[in-house]
This record gives sequence, structure tokens and C-alpha cells, in this order.
Amino acid sequence: MAFVKEFSKGLWDVLPPFRLVLGLCPTLAVTTSAENGAGMGLATTFVLVCSNLLVSLLRKAIPSKVRIGAFIVIAASFVVITELLMQAYFFGLYQVLGIFIPLIVVNCIILGRAEAFASSHGPIDSVADGLGIGLGFTLSLFVLGGVREVLGAGTLLGARVLWDSFEPFAFMVKAPGAFVSLGVMLAIINLISARMAARKRRAQ
Amino acid sequence: MREIINMAVVLTLICAISGFSLAMVHSVTKEPIEYAKLKNVKEPAVKAVLSDYDNDPIKDRASFQIGTDKYGRPVNLVVFPARKNGKTFAVAFESSAKGYKGEVGVMMGLDVEKKAITGISVVTHSETPGLGAKITESAFTDPFKGKVLENDINKDQINTLSGATISTNAVLAAVNNGRQTFEKYKDKMVQ
Repeated sequence: MAFVKEFSKGLWDVLPPFRLVLGLCPTLAVTTSAENGAGMGLATTFVLVCSNLLVSLLRKAIPSKVRIGAFIVIAASFVVITELLMQAYFFGLYQVLGIFIPLIVVNCIILGRAEAFASSHGPIDSVADGLGIGLGFTLSLFVLGGVREVLGAGTLLGARVLWDSFEPFAFMVKAPGAFVSLGVMLAIINLISARMAARKRRAQ
Repeated sequence: MREIINMAVVLTLICAISGFSLAMVHSVTKEPIEYAKLKNVKEPAVKAVLSDYDNDPIKDRASFQIGTDKYGRPVNLVVFPARKNGKTFAVAFESSAKGYKGEVGVMMGLDVEKKAITGISVVTHSETPGLGAKITESAFTDPFKGKVLENDINKDQINTLSGATISTNAVLAAVNNGRQTFEKYKDKMVQ
């Protein structure tokens, strides 16, 4: 039960880019297509789950004064492992994500979850937390990438989805399009949660 | 004091384990990474200059030392063989010469028996866009096809680019350098 609860909170309550508003650098930079977004999300999820598990297992051994250093070393190791594996087996994706893979190390989500959750919870809960947050992050990037890809290129996952005479709105796949679509999505999500909170208050 | 020692020991241990596991992963992924890089970066060029083979030239590549650079580091030549029924009938390799701005690298395919060019493709260059950069276009590279390299080829045998003499000469020089490399290392290249 606790596992499900820790897992599901990452999908809405603490959805990283929209509710915690963390990890915006990759969110803005790599979501030029749904595929890139999902790839970045999955790489981050892998690092997050592994680092959460290790931090949680070592939480009693790591002295609190050097904990940040230790967390960073753990996260950095997993990032390099991910980078090497991706280079070896998914070279195309590696070429697209490029510099943003090493930057997962300084992604606030990783350190944030290690510090705020894994360092004070057991390994099973920490893995659930990592999976939930990671999946939430992946879905957010996928949706954001999907919206930008459909409007900016008329395709979704590389397949044409809009009518042939559709003129691609190239602005959407450029940097400003990232800010605009992220802002609109943040607004929508805030609107939904405000509505939900209002309904809850009325029910009481 | 105890606390300081504890901190140092724990952090050292974590870093050591991390370093060790990274070294492990590196040694496992070294080969696949090299292959993936060649496959994605070189394969388009190799495919452009070789045809009608039934092996994987990237996988069957051979590499050997052909000299040292000015810092004394070894320079390796990578040869991509094209085979049919197990017999190498053509090889592709990179050759370079100095262009207008920096090195011009040419991937060239050579028929082993006839010493004829099966195709060339300019893989690296920094020539002027619109002028020298035309060396990458097929209108320029296609006439090289079928030329027999008994001797150095010269300008009369190809379509020269007007306004880009230096770039044209660089590609010619690269091809002729390639001819010399082939003459010199033929036995090692054809296996």
C-alpha cells in the first residue's frame, strides 16, 4: 500500500516539472519531439531509481556532513553509466540528447529526491518514489514534446498526424515555443488543481 | 576526530566503488561504442563509395599503424573491406590532403583487382560554403568513379570547380595520396 502511495504521488501531487517546477532545463531543451522527451525522461528515471535505491541503502552509513557530496558522486556514477550504455546501444538517441545526458547530474530532481526522500526512507519506498517521480517526469516531457512536435512539425513520433496542407508552426520547436507551451501547460494544470481543491472544499 | 575519520573513510569508499564500477562499464561498452560511432558516422560514407557487397564493412574493418604524427602518437589507417562470397573485391578507406581551410578528408573506395575508384565521398572539410564546399556534391564526386589509378589522376580527368581550384586540387591530392597508401599497404589492406 505504501509502495503504491509513494509511486502514485509522483504522477500528480509532486509531478516534477509542473508541481515541483524542478528539472526545467532538460524540460525546455529536449522536448522538440515526443521521442526525445521520452528518451530523456527514461534516462532520468533510470538514474533516479538507481540513485534513490543506493542513497536509501547507504543512508545510515553516510555521515550527514558529507551527504551532499556522497549523493552527487552516486548520481554522477549512474549518469556516466547511462551515457556509456546509451552511446553503445542507442547511438541515435545519444546524438540527439547529447550534452543533456551529463547534465542529469545537476538535475535538481535527482538531488532533490535523494535529500528530501531517499535519505530518510527505506529502499522499497525510495524505489517507488523514484519510479513514480521518474515516470511523471517522462510523461510530462512526452506530452510537452508531443504537443510541440504536432504543432511544430505536424508529426507525432515521426509519423504524420495532421492534414497534408498543414503549414508547420516552426516557432513551436524552437526555444521560445518551449517556454510558451510549458507556460500554457503549467496554467492548465494549475487551473485543474484549483478546481479540484474548490470542489473538495465545497464537499466538506 | 572520530567523526572526521569516519567522513573521510565513507566518502573515499563511495568514490572508490564508483570509480571501479565506471571502469567496469567502460571496458564492457568500449567495443560497442566504437562500433556504434563508426556505424553512424562512417557508414553513410562507406555505403556511398562501395556497392554490391554481402558483408558488413564496418564490422569487418581492419586497422593498422601507418606512421606517427608530430607528437609521436601512432596514426592508424582503418580499412573497410567489401566482400562477396567471402572474397574482398574492394576496400574503402580515408585519405586526406590540405585544402583551402584545413584538411579535406575523403573516403575512397577502390576496386582491388582493377585499381579503379568505385566512388569517393568527402567526409570532412571546412571549405568556403558555395565555392569550395561544392566538392561534396555528386556532380563533382561522380566523375571520379571508374578512374583507374595506375598513375596519379589529374585535373583533365574530372570536372574541376571554377573558382575553387585549391579545393579541387585538395580532393585530387587526397585521392592520389590514397593511391600511394594503397600501393604501399596493399597486402595489409586486402585480407
